[in-house]
Amino acid sequence: MKLYDQIFDVVKQFKKLFSPGPVTNADVSGSLTAEMFLIVSLILSAILLRHINILLAGIVTLILAVVLISSIPLIPKFKLEQEDSLEKMLFYAVLTLSIIVVFLYWGGNLV
Amino acid sequence: MNELIPLMVIVPLISALIISAFSKFNKVTKIFALIVAVCLPLIPLLSNYGLHYFGGYQPILDNVTNVVYHPAITYSFTFLQQVFIAMIGILTFLVVFVYLTKYRKVSGPYLFLLFLGTAAVTAMLLTDDIFHMFVFFEILALAQVGIVAASSIDYSYEMALKYMILGSIGSPIMLLGIGFLLAITGSVNVTDIAAAVHNGLVDIKSPVFLASLGLIFFGWLYASGFPPFHTIKSGIYSKAEPHGAALLQSFTVVSMISIVLIMIRIYSSLPIFEVFIVFFSILAMILGVSLALTQTDFRRMIGFLAVGELGFIGLGIGLGTQFAITAGLFQALNEIVITALLFIGFGAIVEATNEVDTRKLGGLLAYHPKVSLMLLLGGLAMAGVPPFNGFQSKLMLVQASLSCGFPELSILAIMVSIATFVVFVKTFYVMFLRPKPNDLEVEGKEVPRSMVFAMGILLIIILALGLFPDMVVNGISNFVGGIL
Repeated sequence: MKLYDQIFDVVKQFKKLFSPGPVTNADVSGSLTAEMFLIVSLILSAILLRHINILLAGIVTLILAVVLISSIPLIPKFKLEQEDSLEKMLFYAVLTLSIIVVFLYWGGNLV
Repeated sequence: MNELIPLMVIVPLISALIISAFSKFNKVTKIFALIVAVCLPLIPLLSNYGLHYFGGYQPILDNVTNVVYHPAITYSFTFLQQVFIAMIGILTFLVVFVYLTKYRKVSGPYLFLLFLGTAAVTAMLLTDDIFHMFVFFEILALAQVGIVAASSIDYSYEMALKYMILGSIGSPIMLLGIGFLLAITGSVNVTDIAAAVHNGLVDIKSPVFLASLGLIFFGWLYASGFPPFHTIKSGIYSKAEPHGAALLQSFTVVSMISIVLIMIRIYSSLPIFEVFIVFFSILAMILGVSLALTQTDFRRMIGFLAVGELGFIGLGIGLGTQFAITAGLFQALNEIVITALLFIGFGAIVEATNEVDTRKLGGLLAYHPKVSLMLLLGGLAMAGVPPFNGFQSKLMLVQASLSCGFPELSILAIMVSIATFVVFVKTFYVMFLRPKPNDLEVEGKEVPRSMVFAMGILLIIILALGLFPDMVVNGISNFVGGIL
């Protein structure tokens, strides 16, 4: 029942996502689709790690599945991070540049 | 007629300046802009394939090392450039036509920006000089900022300013990467740099070479609107006039493929390069479609879908085989046309209702049946439904990822297509099929005929590319075979 309550809570939280303004069935079903799409696609992408190591892919996929499902609803949090705030955009731009540089530094050995 | 090659850039560039200078003569400006817009798709179709050396400086053969050097800025015109430049020309014509018929008094500076952007992306496609490419990349960024800022939509200035601030990070970083390449190869000509790399004159494991990849790659993320720049990219589409947004997204797609084709030629020997492209493409697909599903502003929704579709292009290019890159480039061509149709179509709805919130719309099928039908067909094309062009390119991408040994990517591509389909079904239902809200006023407001005409032309192209994909696929495949 805990998972059911959690899923029911998701719908309630979507109301806040669309406020101010009315929340229609189409909006909630769209957000639920986005929620499921996000979880499944991230887990599916994690399976790609099998090209590096099968055991690593298995562990990461399982952990990711547990973490994602237990922290639903993801979309409201997710959307909050993707808003039009310049600070957040700059933060993610600098973060991405750092990740690219780090991966290239270590990835250079894999060339 | 190889003399026409530089004219593909010079004509829109000079026209932009002339229109800006003489914009007070309204009627003459309108006629001149329309004539130039008609010429733009014709020039690449009439031109012969070949090379153009600016200043007439021919390549020099070093008899000692047997290496050919290219001292001039070189434009290379092949089938790929022809098809993309012609498509951009058609789009520019349609956008200028819609703009000229919409306003009685036209703005010279706005037309200047449209033609300047067209000239910039054309130069980026043609050039074989990485610094020349960067200069036009910067000009394009400024033109994009101007097109957004010139729109009459609320907060367009703010969004344009944010795009410019983020560009002030992305562009210098790319320039730094180009500087690193110049430092280790002594050239900015892409053919010369690629020859130096593939002949072993450059150590591909050297930190400077790897750093140049990282820096240019980051600039490419900015140009393409891949994460982390997906939010601002979708934002600028939603804050531009609908016809401007149609052209802006085509600029993004063309600048994306121009830069990545240069990167492929230089960095294809580094496996991490392809891993990076696939990683960011997956991220763009997931983020773009997830966020599109939750939007209530339909312009923003199309903006996020456009970002998600870019992921398909990147996926094909990242897989790295001839078939996969061909599929990616074919998807790029299809996306330009389909997304332009959607932006113009949804823009027509804004014209007729003055409303962008899907929650306040409904029942529009009865009032605008032509536009709704064409939008539905455009949506199906984007979702990859046969017999449209989106189906052909997405099928090729699924086949390519399967043949490369990545069935996960095939499943992901199909899932993204299904989610795109859901976005359209949902949006089409709430805007066109459900009962009209009482407070929505649509009586007596007509959709401009020029917009319906533009949508009709784009729909014909979508169908033609869907029914006869070999028209372009064979030529693109030959081009890709040449660069690999």
